[in-house]
Amino acid sequence: MTELALEIQGIAKSFDKHVAVRELSLAVPRGAVYGLLGPNGAGKTTTIRMILDIIEPDSGSITLFGRSHKEGGVLDRLGYLPEERGLYKKMAVRDVLRFLAELKGVKRRVADSRIDEWLDRLSLRTPEKDWGTAKIDELSRGMQQKVQFIATLLHDPDLVILDEPFSGLDPINAQALKDTVVELKRSGKTVIFSTHLMDNAERLCDSVCIIARGEKVLDGTVAEVKAENAGRTVVLALDGSGGDALAAVFRDRALVERVDDQSRFFEIEMQEGADPQLLLKRVMETGVRVQRFERVQPSLHQIFLERVGAKGVEAGMTGHG
Amino acid sequence: MGKLWVVIKREYLERVRSKWFVIVTLFGPLFFGTIMVLPGYLSVRGMREARVSNVRIIDATGTGLGVRIAQRLVPPQLQASSSAIATVDVVTPAEVPTTEAELLDAVIKRDLVGYLTVDSATISTGRARYAGRNAGSVGETEAIEAAVRAALLSSRIEAAGIDEQTAESLTRLRVNLTAERVTDTGKGGSGLAGAIFGFGVAFLLYISIIFYGQAILRGVMEEKTTRVAEVIMSSVSADVLLAGKVIGVGAVGLTQQLVWLASGIGFWTQRGRIFSAMGIQGMPAISFPSIEPMVLVALVLFFLLGYTFYASLFAAVGAMVGSQEEAQQAAQPVIMLLVFSIIFVQPVMTNPTGRLAEVMSWLPFSAPIIMPMRMTATQVSGWEISAVLLGLLLACAAAIWVSARIYRIGLLMYGKRPSLKELVKWVRAS
Repeated sequence: MTELALEIQGIAKSFDKHVAVRELSLAVPRGAVYGLLGPNGAGKTTTIRMILDIIEPDSGSITLFGRSHKEGGVLDRLGYLPEERGLYKKMAVRDVLRFLAELKGVKRRVADSRIDEWLDRLSLRTPEKDWGTAKIDELSRGMQQKVQFIATLLHDPDLVILDEPFSGLDPINAQALKDTVVELKRSGKTVIFSTHLMDNAERLCDSVCIIARGEKVLDGTVAEVKAENAGRTVVLALDGSGGDALAAVFRDRALVERVDDQSRFFEIEMQEGADPQLLLKRVMETGVRVQRFERVQPSLHQIFLERVGAKGVEAGMTGHG
Repeated sequence: MGKLWVVIKREYLERVRSKWFVIVTLFGPLFFGTIMVLPGYLSVRGMREARVSNVRIIDATGTGLGVRIAQRLVPPQLQASSSAIATVDVVTPAEVPTTEAELLDAVIKRDLVGYLTVDSATISTGRARYAGRNAGSVGETEAIEAAVRAALLSSRIEAAGIDEQTAESLTRLRVNLTAERVTDTGKGGSGLAGAIFGFGVAFLLYISIIFYGQAILRGVMEEKTTRVAEVIMSSVSADVLLAGKVIGVGAVGLTQQLVWLASGIGFWTQRGRIFSAMGIQGMPAISFPSIEPMVLVALVLFFLLGYTFYASLFAAVGAMVGSQEEAQQAAQPVIMLLVFSIIFVQPVMTNPTGRLAEVMSWLPFSAPIIMPMRMTATQVSGWEISAVLLGLLLACAAAIWVSARIYRIGLLMYGKRPSLKELVKWVRAS
């Protein structure tokens, strides 16, 4: 039994003249929560669609649980929540869920009992009202998202792929989703999700892969990624706000490379080899009252901005992530 | 295979359970039966209500021609009731203008439908005058004209020295032509029934293809616009989804046609009772066309292949478009092919052995509609049917091949409708 849930080797895909993914390789260990990060148009959705055999890569290979994803039954172990969500509007909730479960090879009777469990769990079935018999278009948006989520997990998949799962979720459903991801991990499942929300990724993921313009920028465990990109970020918090003198300090390119200025709170990227102590001294000399001065590991957000930068985002490339 | 079955099952059950399917399937035969029977029923009832007999005849001939006409104006079904016989005013030639003026008044007041004037000119040259509210009705004026002709003929025969009885029986001649279709195996039932049956089959095919082809288009478009297609395609390939849809919807169509066929046979075997319940007697005895088993098999094949051909084209259209309006536009070329076939039904029906009928029954896109009609209306050789079926099969394979490619890519493409050039690219790409 291989330790990898997913292994991608050198896949590439172009549409017409546009290259969506080029020479992408990555490995997702079993039981991991894996973040696929990148700006819009980076090739996240295209990569996911290739994993699911919805579109064919031009080259490269994809292996799931040590077997080719083309092998019969392998895809049945995957659960997929697409970015653009939707279900048959005129079908009853229970019928839709049963249909999608049967497509994954779940027997009807097994599907039916699991559907009831899930409906209870997400309070779509209460003593007063059973939404299972309602048609999809009678449901509120939040409820439809729940149903879609059930559809993703109903066949008890070993690998769950969520494409931008947090987009369009209200805070309550977003929290429910986070809880479920943690729960899936606890029960030994593997979760891959794509997002451009770095906060969520940082909190949930064991490992991440950042891609931009169809290419891998970096990958590894969150700890590794942070360690590799650490050491040069300093957080400064003030009592009151800084004046022109402070701004002059930040403009010193021998000391500071970049500042995220939030008026009383600053995330400072030091120059390679610059001494933080010197920076603190210079800041004190401007006469401001320092509340907090701390060398920190950069957030994923910082790393992302630094490594991908504004140039990584191609204009007008939306919808095909 | 198991997944294909799941897709078929959903397509079938969701449609068969729908309100519309139940309504159309149950009331369809009633509707078609009504539009077939109602015109005949109404015309017979119209006759009984004596629109033709509620005319007055002004007879200035002095030969009793008016009475003869009145007798012949009554339709044969209503011979028994004497109230249906028109009144005859026997007048002298001098009284004609005043009587006509009186009756004109009555027509204006709607006491009468019209009046017919016959005089010496009628006897010598056959000229008669009719004035009435129903003068615009071709059928009714023809009936009056025929009655005058028959009455005149009988009075002339009598004048030639033949007695009234003999003259009556000579002119009351009715012709009833039974046309029987001859095929290689001998007589094959009524020619008229064959033509009607062929037309019925062609019409049914056309209706089914339009109806269920559009259902496929809408189904594909729904899956695309609600984005459910992407979830499904993570479980099954686009080809399986397409095949399941075409088969599932086809099965719905077959179910409906079986119900219709059963009620059609029921109607046919009970037609005597139904017509007599409506007060219509003397239905022409039409023998059902004898259909050879091979022809029946060919009919089913034409239906299946024709449906598959158009269904896959409609599916491709559904995958290309993103809205109802776009769908209507993009479906035009496919619908044109169908309409092109159906406008030739009339000429082919009147001349099923002509060159036009032959050519139209060979072309793959019109063959499913025209060939079944030709086949039942006249005899088509076995090798010709086989060749056309083979051609249709090839066309089907090509349509599926092209459509599956468009479908696979189109389902995941949102935004602008593809141009023809892009479509060609899609077909080549996959």
